[in-house]
Amino acid sequence: MDAQATSVLNRIIRRIPNKNIENLLKKWNSLSADQLRALDYTRPKWMIVEHVLSFCEENRLNLKHITNLEMIYHIENPDQGTWHACQFAEAQDDAVCVELTQFKEQFKAHLHGVIRHISIKMKKHEDEAIWIRIAWGDNFSKPNHLKPTYVVHHLHTSYVFISNLMAKHKIFLCQALVIATKHGSIKDGHLSTRSLTAMRDLLLRRYQQAFPNAHSRIPQERNTLSSHPCIGKEHSDHEEMRHQMSCEAFGHSPSPKLETAVYRLETRYRGNGNHTLSDREEFFRGVVRFSSSSLLDSLRHCVASGMAEGPVTPLLSAITQRGRNYFVITDKGPGVSSQASAQRA
Amino acid sequence: MDGQVETVEQGVLGHLMALERRGMGQQDQHESQRLEMLKVRAVALRAQRDQLKHQADAVKILKDKISKDLPLDDADAAGGFIELQKSLLTAWRMQLKDLQRAHHLIGGYDLVECKEGKSVCVSFHTAFEGVYLETYNMELDLTRTVQISRHNIPPSFPLESIAKQILQKDLKGFLQTLSQKLNALAGRRQQVYLLKELVGSVEVMESNQLCNILVLMCTAQGETPKAVLCTLEYGDLTQCLPTRVSIECEDKTLSESPQWKKHQSLLLESPAHTALLTMRRMGSIA
Repeated sequence: MDAQATSVLNRIIRRIPNKNIENLLKKWNSLSADQLRALDYTRPKWMIVEHVLSFCEENRLNLKHITNLEMIYHIENPDQGTWHACQFAEAQDDAVCVELTQFKEQFKAHLHGVIRHISIKMKKHEDEAIWIRIAWGDNFSKPNHLKPTYVVHHLHTSYVFISNLMAKHKIFLCQALVIATKHGSIKDGHLSTRSLTAMRDLLLRRYQQAFPNAHSRIPQERNTLSSHPCIGKEHSDHEEMRHQMSCEAFGHSPSPKLETAVYRLETRYRGNGNHTLSDREEFFRGVVRFSSSSLLDSLRHCVASGMAEGPVTPLLSAITQRGRNYFVITDKGPGVSSQASAQRA
Repeated sequence: MDGQVETVEQGVLGHLMALERRGMGQQDQHESQRLEMLKVRAVALRAQRDQLKHQADAVKILKDKISKDLPLDDADAAGGFIELQKSLLTAWRMQLKDLQRAHHLIGGYDLVECKEGKSVCVSFHTAFEGVYLETYNMELDLTRTVQISRHNIPPSFPLESIAKQILQKDLKGFLQTLSQKLNALAGRRQQVYLLKELVGSVEVMESNQLCNILVLMCTAQGETPKAVLCTLEYGDLTQCLPTRVSIECEDKTLSESPQWKKHQSLLLESPAHTALLTMRRMGSIA
């Protein structure tokens, strides 16, 4: 096994806590049962790494097997690194008929055509997600397996999730994706998170949304303690209305676990107090950043408890409605950036 | 009084019994008073009910006349112009509500006004073979042009392209197409689910979120069981039935046999799970 394979393996094993290594190696299915039994996971990491390396040498495993292991690791633990969302536009008429094999072939063919040395691996997961691992080289050097790009796409949806892509490779990847999925163009989704699960839940609508309905009202999550028959709520209808409003804007719990929302301001100062600030012609530039362990839950609670006044401002409800967490607010008037007309598919 | 004089001579128990009798007699009096009051109240309520019934009937007659496009006569205008207007509005409202209810009952979409008329929320109910499946919602913003503000339709559904084609020109057509396609999607998805549940011996080799392709592997019975691959392509997204079925088998004679030709047309004409159950019953597949 060459140096690159060794360092990749090293990195994987060092990253996982010892108790999870066994499961990962079993899923990998490249070591024999005896070898797996022989490994002692209570030893220090460097010892485990050495043992696994020696087994790999024994089984004559090569870089391909190691990159397979890395991919399995990432599929099992998707919430690492920073993921960015991109969205396709201008679907061609037969975009709906694109099949998996077709997509794979076209994607690989395009990238192999433009870059001489590149290593692409694709796997389809049970939940219909296609995982792609790309190690980039160029016309002179071999692919660099220490900095692979990961791409996740669900066929027939218009979203792609990308992690660890360098600026110089962006154009090649975008071209390949657009051609393979039969769309006209791809643009930045303005959504980045550390958790791929949260990003997928938000964009693929895997959370429960609330809609006004003539027939049913949303059941409230109440503490049974507070529904004592002798306790009457004075403003129960206001409370229900606020609860309804907050659920419509941010969804029911559990919501996708977004962590931040960033608003970049390029507006003029409008307050009456400080004249020096409001007289300036140039923009008042600032950045407002909301952080939370679960941003949507916090915002929902703010609105439901009355801390934030209703109706919910479109600046906040745009997080779920438009599926983004980076906004640029310009001075054209109330509302979100000039991309306000772009609808979320 | 006489009773009292008598009872004093008969003793304490006798006295008590006489008092009891007198008390009951007084209760009777109260009861009969109450009975009178209740009777009077019942008569008043009946009169009120008859009056309301009469009014409701008048409005219903008006509503029927309007729905049958009959001319209104003087008897309807009896209460004066304002009264007539009020009754007309009530009648129209009743008719529209009936239509709305009927549309809901046949499994059509519901519309609810929200944000004081600035937007409308549509609920699409889906059903297959008489069983209600998922409900999809969509909020349409009506302020300047009609635009979709949010929805919970699955992302693999080509909503954007349908909206681009029809939404601005014909809202009703858009909602109708969407309802049709969502129902078809739910139907196809339900077929795959029922297939897995009822016909466990058939393996689903490939399917996708949009359920427009389904590849199944069945085991054909015979002297030696052979694997048969059935590919169902659903080219028309408004339909629950496939547009093309192809049967592949290593043994060419099997796939060309008249029995399997019949199976091919069976798969084209009936839902997948029904067709496979029939094929299993006939003994063709395991």
